[in-house]
Amino acid sequence: MKRTLFRATVICMILGSWMISSSTFAQSDPTGKKRITSSFAITNATVFTEPGKAGVKSTILIQDGVIAGVGNNLSIPKEAKLIAGDSLFVYAGFIDGASNTGITKPKDPERSENFVSSDPPDEIAGITPSRSAVDQFAMDSKVEELRKGGFTVLQIVPEGGMIAGKAAIMVLGNETSSNLIMENTALAVSFKGSRGMYPGTAAGVMAKFRDVYKNTELTKINSDKYASVPGVKRPDIDDTFMGMKDVIAGSTPVMFSASSELEIRRALKLQKELGFNLILTDLENYEGVIPEMKAAGVKVLIKAEVPDDKAIKAQKEDVTEDVKAQYIREKESFDKAIAQAGKLEAAGIQFSFTTVGVKAGDIGKSLKTMIDGGLSETGALAALTTNPAAMMGMSRELGTIEKGKMANLVLTTDTLFKEDTQIKHVIADGYLFDYETKAKKKADEAGKATTGTKVAGNWDYTTESPAGSSGGVITIKKDGNEYSGTITYDDPAGSGKATAPIKDIKLDGSSLSFAFDVNAQGMSIVVEISGTIDGNSMDGTMSIGQFGSFPFEATLIPSITAKL
Amino acid sequence: MKKINYFLAALLGLSFSFASAQTPKGSVLIKNATVLTVTKGTLQNTDVLVQDGIIKKVGTNLSAPSGVETVDATGKYLMPGIIDAHSHVGLDVVNEATSPITSEVQMKDVVNPTEIGIYRALAGGVTISHAMHGSANVIGGQNATLKHRWGTKNPNDIIMMDAPRTIKFALGENPTRVHGRGNGIQPRSRMGVEAVIRNGFNEAIQYQKAWADYDSASAQKGNKATSPRYNERLQTLADILDGKIIIHCHSYRADEIYMLINVARDFNITKLVFQHTNEGFKVAPEIAKYTMGASVFADWWAYKFEVYYSTAFNAAILNANGAITSINSDSAELIRHLYHEAAKTQRYGGMTDDESLAMITINPARQLGISELVGSIEEGKQGDLVIFDSHPLSVYTVPQMTFVDGIKYFDIKEDKNDQRLTVSPTEMVENVYLRQQTERCMQDTEHLFDMAGNLFNQN
Repeated sequence: MKRTLFRATVICMILGSWMISSSTFAQSDPTGKKRITSSFAITNATVFTEPGKAGVKSTILIQDGVIAGVGNNLSIPKEAKLIAGDSLFVYAGFIDGASNTGITKPKDPERSENFVSSDPPDEIAGITPSRSAVDQFAMDSKVEELRKGGFTVLQIVPEGGMIAGKAAIMVLGNETSSNLIMENTALAVSFKGSRGMYPGTAAGVMAKFRDVYKNTELTKINSDKYASVPGVKRPDIDDTFMGMKDVIAGSTPVMFSASSELEIRRALKLQKELGFNLILTDLENYEGVIPEMKAAGVKVLIKAEVPDDKAIKAQKEDVTEDVKAQYIREKESFDKAIAQAGKLEAAGIQFSFTTVGVKAGDIGKSLKTMIDGGLSETGALAALTTNPAAMMGMSRELGTIEKGKMANLVLTTDTLFKEDTQIKHVIADGYLFDYETKAKKKADEAGKATTGTKVAGNWDYTTESPAGSSGGVITIKKDGNEYSGTITYDDPAGSGKATAPIKDIKLDGSSLSFAFDVNAQGMSIVVEISGTIDGNSMDGTMSIGQFGSFPFEATLIPSITAKL
Repeated sequence: MKKINYFLAALLGLSFSFASAQTPKGSVLIKNATVLTVTKGTLQNTDVLVQDGIIKKVGTNLSAPSGVETVDATGKYLMPGIIDAHSHVGLDVVNEATSPITSEVQMKDVVNPTEIGIYRALAGGVTISHAMHGSANVIGGQNATLKHRWGTKNPNDIIMMDAPRTIKFALGENPTRVHGRGNGIQPRSRMGVEAVIRNGFNEAIQYQKAWADYDSASAQKGNKATSPRYNERLQTLADILDGKIIIHCHSYRADEIYMLINVARDFNITKLVFQHTNEGFKVAPEIAKYTMGASVFADWWAYKFEVYYSTAFNAAILNANGAITSINSDSAELIRHLYHEAAKTQRYGGMTDDESLAMITINPARQLGISELVGSIEEGKQGDLVIFDSHPLSVYTVPQMTFVDGIKYFDIKEDKNDQRLTVSPTEMVENVYLRQQTERCMQDTEHLFDMAGNLFNQN
C-alpha cells in the first residue's frame, strides 16, 4: 500500500515535472531571446559602492533586477550566472540628468486656415506642457550607445518649443519592457522662440511664460470656486492648464534650459517672480553666477561637454604682440571654462550632467578634461550617480551599490577616469550588456616618443567642403624618427588627381598634423591637416588658407600597411 | 542691525536708495575745471566734489575729504554725463516683431551688460542710454534706462532702477511693412496704425473695468465671481492711461505725429515723447504744447521714403518753439560722439552752447523722467560726469574721463587695447573684431524681409 502510494507519487512528480517543463516550453520565446536567468553574481570584483569610498573586493548578487547582496560571504544560488570580476572594477550605473537621446521631435501640428501669427494657438507656438517625453522616446541605437558609455538611467526631456512638455525617468534595461521609472518629473522650458510667430524671441518668451503661469494660477482659483460654489461660471480648462497645474502647485519642477550666464540669470529672475521650483539645465557658461545659483538653492545640470580646443590649438608662434595678447585672453577663457565644474563643486552645489546636444562617445573625454581642470574624481562620480539620484528624489532606488537598489552597474577594466579604462559590461535593470574591450596598448619599449600610434602607411581620406566632398590617398613613410610622404588631391586646374609632397609632419601622442602646398591659378595655398588617430582611423580638420576649415576623415588601408 | 537699518530707511524715506544700494557708488574731487553745468551756466576754475555717488559741492577751493581721490582738471572741461534718449546698445533682443502690440515685452529681461558698445559709449562720454525696443510694432515693448556701469556681468547693475517706466511706440512704414505687408494683418496703412492704438487703449479700459468689477464682486460674501484672464499686454496699456509709463514714439511724418497727439489727448495721455520726428518742425508748436518733446537726429535722413522731407534745422526749430528737444544716436557708432551731433545744432540753427549741450544732457533726462537725478551739474544730483580736453562742442575735443555715480569707468590714459568683459573660449576671431555692431530699430526682423531686404532700408 505504502509502496503503491510511493509509486503514484513518483509518477505524479514525473508527470508533473514533465507537464511543467512542457508548459514552460510552450510559453517560451520563439525568438530565443529570453534569458536563461535573472540572477547574476559578479564575483570577487573591486566594488566602489559610492563616490568617495575606496574599492573593496567583494561579490555582488543580483536577482530580478535588484541588488540582492554585496559582500564576501554571500550564498550564490545555483541558477546565477557568474561573472568573474577578479580583474573588474564595479561602479553604480551612471544617471543622465537630462537627455534627448532616443527622443524624436513630434511633427508640428497643421496650421488652420485662419491662423494668425501674432496670436497663435498654444500648441503651434511651442506651449505644450501636457506632452510627455515618454511619447517621443524609443530605445534606438543612440540610446544603446549611451548605455555603452555606462549610462543606465536617463531623465528624458521632450523636444519642442518654449514649454516642450514633461520629462520622465527611464531605465535602459531590456528593450521589451517599458523601462519607465517615473513620469512627469519636470517641465522642460527654454528661451526658444517660435519662428515667425509670437513669441519669437527670448523677450517674448519671458513675457509669455509669465502670462501662462499667472493664468494657470487664476484658472486654479476659478476651478476651485467652481467645484465648491454652485452657480459659478465654468472655468476654461485647456491642455495648457492641465499641463501647468502641477507646476504652480510646486509638485513638478521647471527644468529651464539656460546655457549662458545671462540665460541663467533670466531663469532665476522668473523663478524669483513666480516662485516655481527650478532646475537649471544645459549649463555651459556659468562661472560668474555660481553664488547666485547657490543662494537660490536651485538644482543644476551642466553639459557633459567642454569647449573644443580647436581655436587654442590653432594659436601660432609667429604673431604680433596684439595677437599674442588676444591668445592669452582666449587661453584664459578656455582654462576658465574647463575649470568651472570644479568651482561648482568647491562652492558646494550638487550638480549632475545633461547630455542634451552631446556626442555620447565624447563624454568620457570631456569628464577627464573637467577633472584635469579641478573637478575631483569623487565629485565627477557623484555627478554621474548619487547627485542625479538625489535630484530626482530616487536615492532609495538609484545611485549607489547597495542591497535593495536597482541593479544598475558599470563594470570597467580599470578605475574610472583613467586614460585606458574601458567598459566591459553594463547592467541596467538587472539586464546584462557585454561590450568588446580592446587589449591595452603596450607602451613602446626603448623610450620612443610615440605611443604606438600607427601613422606610416596609405590613408584613404575624404573632406567635406562647400564645393562638395573630395578625397584622395595620403602616403606616409617613416625614416628613423622622421616622417615623409605625399598626398593626392582633386586637381584644381581640371579633372584628375594631383600629387604633392607633404611637409611639417608632426605626431604628438595620437594627434597628427601636416601640410602641403596647392597651386591654383597661379596662387599658392597652404593646406593644413590636423586630426586624431584612433586605431586605423583619423578624424580632424583640413584648413585651406583663408577659405576656412572643413571636416576631414581618413582610414588606414590595411592591405598595404607599411611597417612602423 | 539689519532690522534697524530697514527701520531707519523707512523712517527717512530712503527705502529706495537702500534697494539700489548694491550698485557701486564712488567719491571724487575734480579740481579747477571749466564746469559746464548746463542749467546754471559755465563756472570757470571750479571744483566739483562727488561723495558716495552724489554731487555734494560745486565751488572753489574745495578740499578732498580723507580717502577721496582728487583729479586735476586744470585747462579741461567738465560736463554732465551725456544721455542718449534712443539706443539699442546692451540688448540681446531688440524686436519682438511678431504682433502689432507687444507692450508686455520688457527690454529689462534681455539686457546684456557685457556688450562692448557700452564701453565705447562711455569713451564718448555717454553715461546713460535709453535701451529701446525696436520699431517693428505699433506698440512695442517696455524699454530699459541703462547706467553705463561697465565691468559687471549682472544686468541689474546697469539698469537705472530709479528711472520711470517707458515704452516704445512706432508709426509709419516700419509697422505697416512688418505686419501689413509682411503678414497681411492690421496695420497696412497709417490709418491702421491709429486704429491699432485706439483699439488697444479701448481694450485696456475694458480690461481695467473687468478687473475692477471682479475685485469688488469677490469682496462680497458668497459671491460667484470668477477672475478675468490675466493680460500683461492690456495691463501695460492701462498703466499708460494711468500715467505710469512714458511713451517714446518712433515717428517721421507730421501728419502721423499730429495723429498721435490727438489720440493721446483723447485718452488724456500727457507723457509722450516723439523719437526721430524728422518732420517735427512742421508741428513744433503742437509738440511743445501737448507733449514732452522730441528726440531727433542731428542730420540723418533719406534712408527711406518717409524720411525724405527733413532738415538739419529740425532741432533748432523745435527748440525755438519751446518743445523739449534732444539729439539721439539710435546707433552704436553715433553714440560715441553725440557731442559732435549736438554741435551741429550750432552750425544749423545757431544755438547757444547751453542750448546745444542741453540737447544731450538735461533735455533727454526730462524726456526719460530722470531730470531730478541727472542731466546737469547741480548739488544733490548723481555724480555722472565727463571731462573733455577742450570744449565738448569743438570738433577737436576728446573725452578724457567718464564717471558714473562718482566712479570712473573710462580713462583715456588707462584705456586697454582689449576691453572685452567676456572672451569666447572657442572663437579665435569674435564678431567684435570683424565688424562694428550697429544696433538698429529693425534688428531681429530681418528674417521677415529676406526678399524685401535689398529694396527697403530698415532703419
